[in-house]
Amino acid sequence: MPPPDALPEPVQILDTSGLLCPIPIVKTAAAVKRLADGDVLLVIATDPGIAVDMPMWCKAMRHEHLATFKDGPSWKSYLRKRPRAPRHAP
Amino acid sequence: MKKPGKAIAMISGGLDSTLALAMIRAQGVEVKAINFYTGFCITETQRRKGGRQDGTVPQNEALRAAAEQEVEIEYIDISGDAYLDMLLHPKYGYGANANPCVDCRIFMMRKAKEVMEREGADFVFTGEVLGQRPKSQRRDTLWAIERESGLKGRLVRPLSAKLLPPSIPEQEGILDRSKLGDLNGRGRTRQIAMARELGLAEWPQPAGGCCFLTDESFARKFFDILVQREAAGEPRRIDRDDVVLMTTGRHFRLSPTVKLMVGRTEVENGTLETYAGDRRARLVARVHAGPVALVEGVPTWEERQLAARIVARYGKGKDEPLVEVEWRDPDGAVEVLEVEPERDEARVEQLRI
Repeated sequence: MPPPDALPEPVQILDTSGLLCPIPIVKTAAAVKRLADGDVLLVIATDPGIAVDMPMWCKAMRHEHLATFKDGPSWKSYLRKRPRAPRHAP
Repeated sequence: MKKPGKAIAMISGGLDSTLALAMIRAQGVEVKAINFYTGFCITETQRRKGGRQDGTVPQNEALRAAAEQEVEIEYIDISGDAYLDMLLHPKYGYGANANPCVDCRIFMMRKAKEVMEREGADFVFTGEVLGQRPKSQRRDTLWAIERESGLKGRLVRPLSAKLLPPSIPEQEGILDRSKLGDLNGRGRTRQIAMARELGLAEWPQPAGGCCFLTDESFARKFFDILVQREAAGEPRRIDRDDVVLMTTGRHFRLSPTVKLMVGRTEVENGTLETYAGDRRARLVARVHAGPVALVEGVPTWEERQLAARIVARYGKGKDEPLVEVEWRDPDGAVEVLEVEPERDEARVEQLRI
């Protein structure tokens, strides 16, 4: 996990504090939809489930997961929206 | 030549739905996965309470399965009033507890149909196995779910497809029926062999009941609320706050219309604090550390004393002769009750819901 100072400036910050899993991921999905490809989103959450969910969600959705770490009482999660590659089933 | 197709996968991340996902993808069909958030998931609730006792946080299995197979996944939040209303009026009735599994499946499949139409997909599929569950996966109920959801012919159960009538995607050549499954019943041996064959790395142990509605102690609290509302002359309903509170703390029925909820952990105390709202009184011991508790309904003087005594019993002052308990009414009025902690174990147990 890279240190916070090595992370890019987010285009948008989504604060999901107080929301319980999996709602932070539901909100993240909606926010990412409105971003342009390559944009960085910072998600703030208080539900510790985000540390497990965000990397998996990014893998499923093929966004780039940059980092998820604890910052004081909340969690910060950085991701970069990727252009959607054409999907081919195996 | 097989036609390319697109499908919506209803996945929980358990072995069966993971397997169904792999089978359909292996046929060259583009898949989008969906997972429903009902508010009654035991794993999610466990996560909210800070994970398991050993400190690990259980993973979300649907997300894990989608990530493993790199399939796009969408969460669909159905935890609103329409779902809660269905729970109270299930056309196909309840299972052993508060679980209207057939109606719940129909509810979810209707949403899945909307996603199918929005995404321009050809069909919906699930990991259901014929005969695996006593009620919701019998041949007649599988058919009822398909018919009532409006998905007639477009709801595929890949694991048991050879034992069911051919679906539209099979007839149209999107799916090759010969490569679908013929599983029947409760065993898992064949599923595990198929998972290995398809190269799946991980699958969770059978969850048994991953849904609170199938849990006996939850069901007691669920039906208790309905009886309480009726006794108080209120509409027979369950709201979102009730759902959270039913999985939080010890619950005691003090009278037909008065209920006490006592937190068991820091996290539960925090939850109760948040959900006091404008309908519930909040109790907490003043000098001695102890739980946060909520009272629903309008208690008599005796019931207030009893509630305070139970709250004192679960705090650090349980062995003191007298404990001060602060009672804050929903309108903000505060009273301090000085009570002896309740020591009659049998009486407390009798009140427990």
